[in-house]
Amino acid sequence: MFFHIVLERNMQLHPRHFGRDLRDKLVAKLMKDVEGTCSGRHGFIVAITGIESVGKGLIRDGTGFVTFPVKYQCVVFRPFKGEILEAVVTMVNKMGFFAEAGPVQIFVSNHLIPDDMEFQTGDMPNYTTSDGSVKIQKDSEVRLKIIGTRVDATEIFCIGTIKDDFLGVISDPGATS
Amino acid sequence: MGSIEPFNRLVKLAARAFYDDITTKGENQPKTGRSDNRGIAVVVLDALTRRQWVREEDLAKDLKLHTKQLRRTLRFFEEEKLVTRDHRKETAKGAKIYNAAVAATADGQPNGREGDEKLKMHTHSYCCLDYSQIYDVVRYRLQRMRKKLKDELESKNTVQEYICPNCSKRYTALDALRLITTYDEYFHCESCNGVLVAESDKFAAQELGDGDDNARRRRHEKLKDMLTKMEEQLKPLIDQLGRVKDLPAPEFGSLQAWELRANVAGRSNGDPNANDPSKSSLGFGGTPMPYVGETKVTFLASSVYLQNLSILHGCLEVILLARNFLLLLWKLKARDCQVEVAFSGVDDKGDVKSLNTSTPMKVLPPWMIKEGMNLTKEQRGETKIETKMGSTSTTSELSDDKKSTIVNDESKNIQDEYVKAYYAALLMRQREQEETVKKEEQESSNATMSNDVYNTPSERQVGMKSKRDDDYEGDDVEWEEEAAPPAAGGGTSEHYKVDLNVEAEASEEDEDEIDWEEG
Repeated sequence: MFFHIVLERNMQLHPRHFGRDLRDKLVAKLMKDVEGTCSGRHGFIVAITGIESVGKGLIRDGTGFVTFPVKYQCVVFRPFKGEILEAVVTMVNKMGFFAEAGPVQIFVSNHLIPDDMEFQTGDMPNYTTSDGSVKIQKDSEVRLKIIGTRVDATEIFCIGTIKDDFLGVISDPGATS
Repeated sequence: MGSIEPFNRLVKLAARAFYDDITTKGENQPKTGRSDNRGIAVVVLDALTRRQWVREEDLAKDLKLHTKQLRRTLRFFEEEKLVTRDHRKETAKGAKIYNAAVAATADGQPNGREGDEKLKMHTHSYCCLDYSQIYDVVRYRLQRMRKKLKDELESKNTVQEYICPNCSKRYTALDALRLITTYDEYFHCESCNGVLVAESDKFAAQELGDGDDNARRRRHEKLKDMLTKMEEQLKPLIDQLGRVKDLPAPEFGSLQAWELRANVAGRSNGDPNANDPSKSSLGFGGTPMPYVGETKVTFLASSVYLQNLSILHGCLEVILLARNFLLLLWKLKARDCQVEVAFSGVDDKGDVKSLNTSTPMKVLPPWMIKEGMNLTKEQRGETKIETKMGSTSTTSELSDDKKSTIVNDESKNIQDEYVKAYYAALLMRQREQEETVKKEEQESSNATMSNDVYNTPSERQVGMKSKRDDDYEGDDVEWEEEAAPPAAGGGTSEHYKVDLNVEAEASEEDEDEIDWEEG
């Protein structure tokens, strides 16, 4: 799920950036530092959409770096248990398959794949129904439901299932190409 | 306490359902036929349903089990949360009740069979079923079983677990990212690099082999089968759980609290129940003291109950009944009976008072003697008492003989029996240097106010205090005490004295002198 929230961060700026475009430099550095990171509490920070305020800088003794408390608006992505996501399959093996929904990695183990889909080894390992009409392989797009998340300080990992109504392959890349 | 039976049934069912084939022996011991102690768990649990708090050595003796074996079983149950255990150094407790010296010697003997190496301090373990927790434990267990099977069945919302066959390290699907390798399609153990096995597959597919194709389907069926079997076989247990649901679980409290209460109420529950706890309580005290307290109290309770009855119906039959009951008790336990009789004697006095005063509210306690009087001679009421008093003061030695004879004397005058019993009780008390309120009354009535009476109230109050802990009986005691003083006004001079004593004692008790003196 995506959220638009305000976060705060203390930015340290090198003295060489002190000048006319200090603020731009500050924002650029903030984006570079923050976007794409993940915090266990808020999830992945997808994009910074604006700067709310920049506080008074504090010059650090000895180094000359200045610390600015910066409040910024950003879009975060936080997966929840029970959430339905669309994801791209990245790897298929005997134990199940891995998929990515944006920054989040999701593992779907083979017992959470419908029973009528069998694992096929080969060049392109895949799960296929007995009549071959549905196939899950690398780069397939699947809709899945998250049934478990592991949230570390800097990482979120999910387990999903496609063993439910309306879950499974959305489109087969092989069909379009 | 009335609801203990369904709970006991629950325990028994649970024992047979879950602990039937538990063996509690150490893994290093060879598994020979002789050392196979499966079923012991059930036996122990059954035995515990018939007891409350019980010393483990006593339990072992009763079950003809080795204490070590029993202890192992009990430890297992403690981990299973079925049983609460308490360990304590016995002599420390004993010292509270007795002088330290007495405790060191007398208390040491009974504990000698088992215990720690310390010379005078023996650690004793007590155990007791924790019914409310058992209820929860069983429910939780069933719930987990059901959930596990259902989840397996539907393969829904379960986080797959993986286990390393080599080092039996466990992983969940959440670790999957760390477990994949580039060179094959299996998960590998982080520590030994072995190929991980999905645990649920192992669970149901052990006998089915590794066949991929049909394994899943067959597993499905097997799980379904298991679920239905479980529901069916555990139905009695589940039914029992439902039956017990709205009943208050029997609560024995901690060992100390229970002992206090058992001293008070143990008898009123009926003898079989009371025996075991009293045994154990004797264990710590090593003396009949607790008994005295128990009997007194229970008798009070029953007598009060009977009093109420008699007041309600005003009929002699009830009283007769009570009297027979008393006699029965008498036969059963000489010592206890004496005490009880003594109580009845007290009651008698109260009766007399009540008769004199003719105030129904105050009359409550002494119904018993009153009946006896009525039966023998209606007019005797007061004279009888007087004779009693005289005899008590003079013939303390006779009491032993009389005691023994009393049992045979059912046909005799109830009055006589009472007198004898009364003597016996008095003698007992004198020996033990502990006087009950009744005794005080008696002595005072004899116009021999002894200082002893006043010096020893603390011991007496051991019983009294516990009495108070029990709700009903505590109330009753107060009744009597309250009833006594007003009666004094109407009574004769002798009675008046008696009442004064009663009052004084009552006040002492109310002020919790007990605590002072014991502490």
